[in-house]
Amino acid sequence: MDQAALHTLLLGAWTTAWISAVAVAGGVPLGLALALLREARIPVVGHIIVLYVSLGRATPLVTLVLFIFVGAPLLGIPLDRYTAAIVTLLLNTAAFNAEVWRAAIRSFPHEQVEAARAAGMTRVLIFRRIMLPQIWITSLPGLVNEMTFLIKASPAIGVIGIVDLTRVTNRISAITYEPLPPILVAAALYMVAIGTLVRLQRLLDARAQRLAM
Amino acid sequence: MPLRFLSSLAFLAVLLFPVATSAASLKEIQARGYMTVATEDDYAPFEFVEGGKPKGFHHDVVAELKKYAKFEIRQEILPWTGLLAAVSTGKYDTAITGSIVSQERLQVFNFAAPIAGATHYYIKRVKDDRIKSVADLNGLTVGVQAGSVLLSRLPELAAMLKKTGGKLGKVVEYTSYPEIYEDLANGRLDYAVNGIINATALVKERGKIFAIGQPVSGAGFHAWPVPKANEDLLAYLTGFVAHLRKTGKLAELQKKWFGTAFPDLPTEPIRSFEQYKKLAGLE
Amino acid sequence: MNKWEILWNHREMILGGFKSTLVLFGVSAIAAFLLSSLIVLAIRTGRAPFGRVVRGVVDGMRMLPFLIYAYLLYYGLPSLGIRFDAWTAGFIALITYHAAYFAEILRGTWATLSTGQAEAARAHGFTTFMMYRRIILPQLVLRAAPVLGNQVIICLKDTAFLSIITVRELTAAASAVQSQYFIPFEAFIVAIGLYWLTSMLIEALVARLGFAAERKGLGYKLAAVRR
Repeated sequence: MDQAALHTLLLGAWTTAWISAVAVAGGVPLGLALALLREARIPVVGHIIVLYVSLGRATPLVTLVLFIFVGAPLLGIPLDRYTAAIVTLLLNTAAFNAEVWRAAIRSFPHEQVEAARAAGMTRVLIFRRIMLPQIWITSLPGLVNEMTFLIKASPAIGVIGIVDLTRVTNRISAITYEPLPPILVAAALYMVAIGTLVRLQRLLDARAQRLAM
Repeated sequence: MPLRFLSSLAFLAVLLFPVATSAASLKEIQARGYMTVATEDDYAPFEFVEGGKPKGFHHDVVAELKKYAKFEIRQEILPWTGLLAAVSTGKYDTAITGSIVSQERLQVFNFAAPIAGATHYYIKRVKDDRIKSVADLNGLTVGVQAGSVLLSRLPELAAMLKKTGGKLGKVVEYTSYPEIYEDLANGRLDYAVNGIINATALVKERGKIFAIGQPVSGAGFHAWPVPKANEDLLAYLTGFVAHLRKTGKLAELQKKWFGTAFPDLPTEPIRSFEQYKKLAGLE
Repeated sequence: MNKWEILWNHREMILGGFKSTLVLFGVSAIAAFLLSSLIVLAIRTGRAPFGRVVRGVVDGMRMLPFLIYAYLLYYGLPSLGIRFDAWTAGFIALITYHAAYFAEILRGTWATLSTGQAEAARAHGFTTFMMYRRIILPQLVLRAAPVLGNQVIICLKDTAFLSIITVRELTAAASAVQSQYFIPFEAFIVAIGLYWLTSMLIEALVARLGFAAERKGLGYKLAAVRR
């Protein structure tokens, strides 16, 4: 594989990387917000969230990204490809993250909340100072696990024309007529990225176990 | 609780049903001072992006339209897959894009006077000696884009093949053309079908691998779609095309971007499939 | 004509795509599960290098995006002279990819079983294979049912990727219908609804399995097998 092809491949890798990063940066806090809203047991909102999480986890990313990309202009929101891809990945990962956060919130020992209440702390303060730091550590392995799934599903954004690390292999083979090298290199790059995240997840898991959470 | 669940479903359903607005008539456009135009960004040589800059036939055409029109032209870039749908629901007044006139589209749109020819040709591998004429396509595997005009006009090719005692082979549908050309190159497909302009562009770039054959359809046209009710806007755009033709700009841009001018295009707007059949010379 | 009417008129396209999705997903999930049960047996009881190699391949698959794997089978292999058609490549991709995931789930679950069973079974004269089939595997399936169910749903979603390598499944059908007849919302909503329905059915089945497990005394609420 020559210089130009490698350069194109790395551009594709960069596209996948930055789009995934933005989606994660938005999806993790959104997941937390959804989990908190759900646990707050507000009548209609709670059910909508359940609906959203159920749909979000059942919808293939390819279908969702096409739906959002093609449908948004009809609602009067002109979305360019990149925004559509980020929104799709974000909505998808938030649905999974909501469940991770929810599990952490549910397993949070209630005694601590009671003790804090007895000490006169407000709900917001309890959440910010006591709950969040701890559920953050408990959820981290699950959140990182979800990040690996995000990267593994990210090639779906190729259907709306984004030249990501997978689609770029079509572009390269259109010029070199050798599809195998770019596909193998792309596969290797994905494995390195995901492998690193899996390592990270194991470390975080061990840390959470050690802190007996 | 099931009732609550259903009510949230209903709430979501309401959100998802788009409210269609009707397209603005020419008078309304003139009154409000601007026209909204939808274009694409991934359809070389009509409209594409090179080095971060928009280029192409329609990029130049819109520049001319901005000079010609007395109101502002607001251009939005949309994906092809949703472009026509957006125009059909009136979100945009028109699309200045390389859409091809087809029977399905004529049920929803009228088309302004065409700006390029869109006869379909077959594309084959240069090294493939089996195919020398349309009759040789008998029984061979073809690739076309799913849901496209190229697919819907394949019956014309089937009719051509029937005349020489053959028939259409297996038809494989793809999401886009880059994948079609890849499978043509690696032997999964025997030939592909595309409009003359796209085929010419492909062969110009990859002439060592691909070659254009003969026409596999009657005449076709690239033209701008306008929702059916909007007659005065249709007349306005047809007038604009006539203006481009009179000043020679149309032929100049055609030669620049397509490599050839199309001097024999119809000059009237296309409103129905019967009219189209007559203009295209189809029986 | 109302847009929903247009969609209804062309419902065979969408339903045909849905049928293809179900065939792809159903056959692949079953075949992947069968393959994975053999893989797990190989990992646990196979001789030293073989077991490790298999484990390495399984780990590798789990770090690969499904689509790039499908690309490898569909676009990459022709350069080596192996040209699969889209459906064959799709099946091979789905089956082998998800077999790796199922294998890892089963392997992790096996590690939580008590070892006394194996000794008792041997004492009764069970061969390795019989012991696996009659005693161990059923327990693995019942214990890991929720996680296996999740993986089956992922298998369903992965079928949509195959639209990119020209398999005419549900997403490809919805995309074709909406671009031809200008009904994007309607077509995709129906497609998403069908995926949702199918995944809810799978979850209901898994719940049923959970009840069956509890009746047989095998349904422990274990802490999630974290991998």
